[in-house]
Amino acid sequence: MRKVGVIGAGMTLFRRRLQETGKEMCFEATKMALDSAGLTRADIDMVVNGTAPDAFDGVHMKGEYLLDGCGGYRKPYTRVFTGGGTGVFSSIAGWWHVASGLADAVLVVNEEKMSSCQPHPQSVFAHIWDPILDRPLRPNLVWIFAMEMNRYMHVHGVKKEDIARVAVKNKRNAVGHPCAQLADPKITVDDVLNSEVMAWPVQRLDISPPSDGASAIVLASEDFIRRRKIKDRAWMSGVGWCIDSTMWTDRDLYFPEYVARAAQTAYKRAKISDPRREIDFAEPYDPFDYKELHHLEGLLLAKKGEAPILTREGVTERDGDLPVCPSGGLMGVGNPIAATMGQKIGELFWQLTNQAGKRQIPHEVHTGVAQAWGDLMPLWW
Amino acid sequence: MTFLERTTDARRFRQWEGNVEADYIYTSGVAGERFFVALRDDGKMLASRCTACGLDYLPPRLFCEDCFLELTEFVDVPPEGRVAAVTMAHLDRRGTPLSRPQVWALVTFEGIRGGLVHRLLVPPAKARVGLAVRAKLKARGDRVGAITDIEGFEPVRS
Ligand SMILES: [Zn+2]
Repeated sequence: MRKVGVIGAGMTLFRRRLQETGKEMCFEATKMALDSAGLTRADIDMVVNGTAPDAFDGVHMKGEYLLDGCGGYRKPYTRVFTGGGTGVFSSIAGWWHVASGLADAVLVVNEEKMSSCQPHPQSVFAHIWDPILDRPLRPNLVWIFAMEMNRYMHVHGVKKEDIARVAVKNKRNAVGHPCAQLADPKITVDDVLNSEVMAWPVQRLDISPPSDGASAIVLASEDFIRRRKIKDRAWMSGVGWCIDSTMWTDRDLYFPEYVARAAQTAYKRAKISDPRREIDFAEPYDPFDYKELHHLEGLLLAKKGEAPILTREGVTERDGDLPVCPSGGLMGVGNPIAATMGQKIGELFWQLTNQAGKRQIPHEVHTGVAQAWGDLMPLWW
Repeated sequence: MTFLERTTDARRFRQWEGNVEADYIYTSGVAGERFFVALRDDGKMLASRCTACGLDYLPPRLFCEDCFLELTEFVDVPPEGRVAAVTMAHLDRRGTPLSRPQVWALVTFEGIRGGLVHRLLVPPAKARVGLAVRAKLKARGDRVGAITDIEGFEPVRS
């Protein structure tokens, strides 16, 4: 397997509604990523597109629809889709294109235009349920998360305010992010606790709202990076992905076993034996504030039930011992499902190459981990 | 044994009805905005020009898919185009026979990359590749800035 590095990244503004079409957003992100790597489209061997259900943009087979904006014209081009996990999984697909020796330089472009869907993208989530067991009950997706959050709180005796601290931290971290939709330098734990109850214990400010946006990265082989004398690169030393039982009712709701298994695969590949000591910062998937805690434990960066304590003690702040979501995450920057690659893989690249600007972690960092979750459970680093 | 039996009526089994309802609002985008406003207000079609490779894109795009540059220059599409391919539709989308066949065409324009699929406003017997055509637009007051502002393409000389 060949060594693979991230050599460029770009992302659009994340907004509730953008005038740009999905293709146009992809073009903007892709052009930024190419420019940052000092490459042109002609240097690219293959293109990977990541985008979530067609039902959001309202275009069937939207991978093909987005192709020209992703730089895929007359190139080997593939779309991958693993729900919210696409935010990291498409990068893994790009990784295997290069690691296998099939390609030297690969573009990975992720997009979501959720504002097309009316009255709210939540309405098409109604169709992910089992048509016979669940849909006659007219469930709402937030219910599952509410029950998972409740189970996590119940098993470990976690207080709601310790979970709310994650929302506060990430919305404040996002203040330095040029693409952020939800940055708020003044938000407090009380604001979160006083926000509207959606499905108890999930309140309005515990959740990242839908968004429009695109992000892109450029991956290249070690040989290509040396030949082109590319200075800014972050090596992908390990990847892993895993899926649990298809029935969420059969999962251990308080602990994401699938994350732990994906993490172990990635850590093994990267020869990391003590993740808590060897990993300097993390970008776990945070569509809900409790999910960051859940995923930190899954990533084996905190013991079971310990993540809320680390958060309360400030360990996960940008200047803490283990900065978590220094980008501002989904909670602070926004959640155009697949395009959150910008806060996950993009942020790792920017932090590791000292290009994170106001978001730069003040101390030196060498190793980071990014993770996303959807129906599938990928992980990267 | 389900695999060996055949039924065309799912209601013979225990069944539930469902409906994947979804509604959308699509934005026309940055380049699309220019195209549709010019169509509505000036009754003309615009293409976007790539100054690097010289291609003029119809419908206009924000970027050249090959050179990957942002396109900011717009040019008028020639008023006269040619039919590149035709089809006569005899059935509607549900498979029901149409009272009379519909004529559809791909219309291209000299020097312009791409083209438009639209109604060809001739009887089926007159529909042929190579026919010189131009867009028949709705009246100014009826145009809203949509592809349906074009009623179809009609022969230049009838
Ligand atoms: Zn060009």
